[in-house]
Amino acid sequence: MSAEKILPAPDADSKPFWDGCREHRLKFQQCAACGEVRWPPSILCPQCHSQDTRWMEASGRGTIYTFAVYHQAFHPAFKGKLPYVVAVVKLDEGPMLLTNLVGRPPDSLACEMPVQVEWDDISEEYSLPKFRPI
Amino acid sequence: MSLKDKYAVVGVGYTPQGKVADRKSLSFHLEAVSKAIMDAGLKKEDIDGLNAYRHFPPCPGEPDLTPQLLAQHLGMTPTYISQDAN
Amino acid sequence: MLDAGICNYVVISYGHSGLWGGGMRQLLFNTRASEAAFGHFGAVGRYALAARRSMHVFSRGPETWKHIAMGQRKWANLNPAAIMHAKPMSEEDYYGAPLVVEPFRLFDNCQMNDGGRAIIVTSAERAKDLKHRPALIMGMGLDNPCNEIAQAQYTAGPTGAKKAGRAALEMAGIGLADIDACQIYDCFTYTVEVTLQDYGFFGYGEGKDWFKGGTIEPGGRMPVNTSGGQLSEAYFMGLTPISEAVMQLMGRCGPRQLGPKTQTKEPQIILCSDNGGTLQSHACLIFRRG
Repeated sequence: MSAEKILPAPDADSKPFWDGCREHRLKFQQCAACGEVRWPPSILCPQCHSQDTRWMEASGRGTIYTFAVYHQAFHPAFKGKLPYVVAVVKLDEGPMLLTNLVGRPPDSLACEMPVQVEWDDISEEYSLPKFRPI
Repeated sequence: MSLKDKYAVVGVGYTPQGKVADRKSLSFHLEAVSKAIMDAGLKKEDIDGLNAYRHFPPCPGEPDLTPQLLAQHLGMTPTYISQDAN
Repeated sequence: MLDAGICNYVVISYGHSGLWGGGMRQLLFNTRASEAAFGHFGAVGRYALAARRSMHVFSRGPETWKHIAMGQRKWANLNPAAIMHAKPMSEEDYYGAPLVVEPFRLFDNCQMNDGGRAIIVTSAERAKDLKHRPALIMGMGLDNPCNEIAQAQYTAGPTGAKKAGRAALEMAGIGLADIDACQIYDCFTYTVEVTLQDYGFFGYGEGKDWFKGGTIEPGGRMPVNTSGGQLSEAYFMGLTPISEAVMQLMGRCGPRQLGPKTQTKEPQIILCSDNGGTLQSHACLIFRRG
């Protein structure tokens, strides 16, 4: 019996992002009018309100903006993973992404550490972008 | 035109607090409001505005606690009604 | 609405079966699927992300917050209605409590409780004829930084408190030196630090020294959250700080009354803060004794 897990819930705005994740590609909307790369996804650019959008692929590199270490289980699906790290990673291209940090003990982590994306294939349909300090 | 010193808080209503079993969220609103009215030395008929915190989603097993529901249980028909959400 | 003449007496109420009825679990365990997939839930995780960034910027964290948790507990110990009335807190208690979402330990979090609170607001003119001496609204300020925590770059300050505080003081025509006590929205200890910092009570990162020596406690030079606050009295969102400011100015607080009883200044002016979301909305209210 596989452990219970929580899957993302794509919507009309975020579906291309999650489709990209399945292919291990980190894709974001870029405003064709002003160049702003945005997250969360939206019909319009928060900077200039243009609806002229294209999707770009990010490098997967960024830095730790902040992080928090979960010591209590807020959902049974995560009980077996304690302690685990939730973080906000600021990607080189601009977007700030909520994610997990992996590959290092929590007490070795610090804000501003450079990180690189790696992929966690949690199901056939979904892969989660997580980040490892480099 | 500045609002300075034009308005005041004139009454406070308290309820039991902590772990209080067998009471719905609505009951705490009702008790707090009725006690605040008494504390201010006013009557229910004096109150013509109601602003209620509304927790959304509602507590498990409870209905959506709207200011309208609150007013109905208080026997009021306020001119001004509004809600603050969490 | 009062100013527009649409109504005369407004009641603001809060009621929640937050503990027994499971209501507060929904705030704490609030699940947005695309964040929950990463194991991120609710208010504690969101504020923990904000607090960690501030630790990075200021090089301090729990060593500041412990003063807030312990100081407010001392006020609760004087308040028979406070949930934590009978439970004093030592530094060992603070550091020994379990980590919830690091950097937060148990006593960095507010109470989860059932109950309600309500206040009545009216014009100063009508207030004169009523039972208690009124708590006049001297000043008010608002600001809404709005960004979700994952995209917020203000969490180590300035938060909405900076603009809102300035606007409230300007409307009131006073400075910080005129403030006798503060009632600060304290969903977490960190919220108190960043709010007082943004209001200008101390410089960025200087909180640890400002809180030291009992500053906010009974007998302290700047009492904060004199009912025990959301941390130690009870959580009723903005009505916790506001109702306490009013009761203190009305002189109705018994053993915890600001003044000679608690070796503090008898209050003429009290500053309050209210928050929404995760540091996404801020209101500052200044009350004075009527």
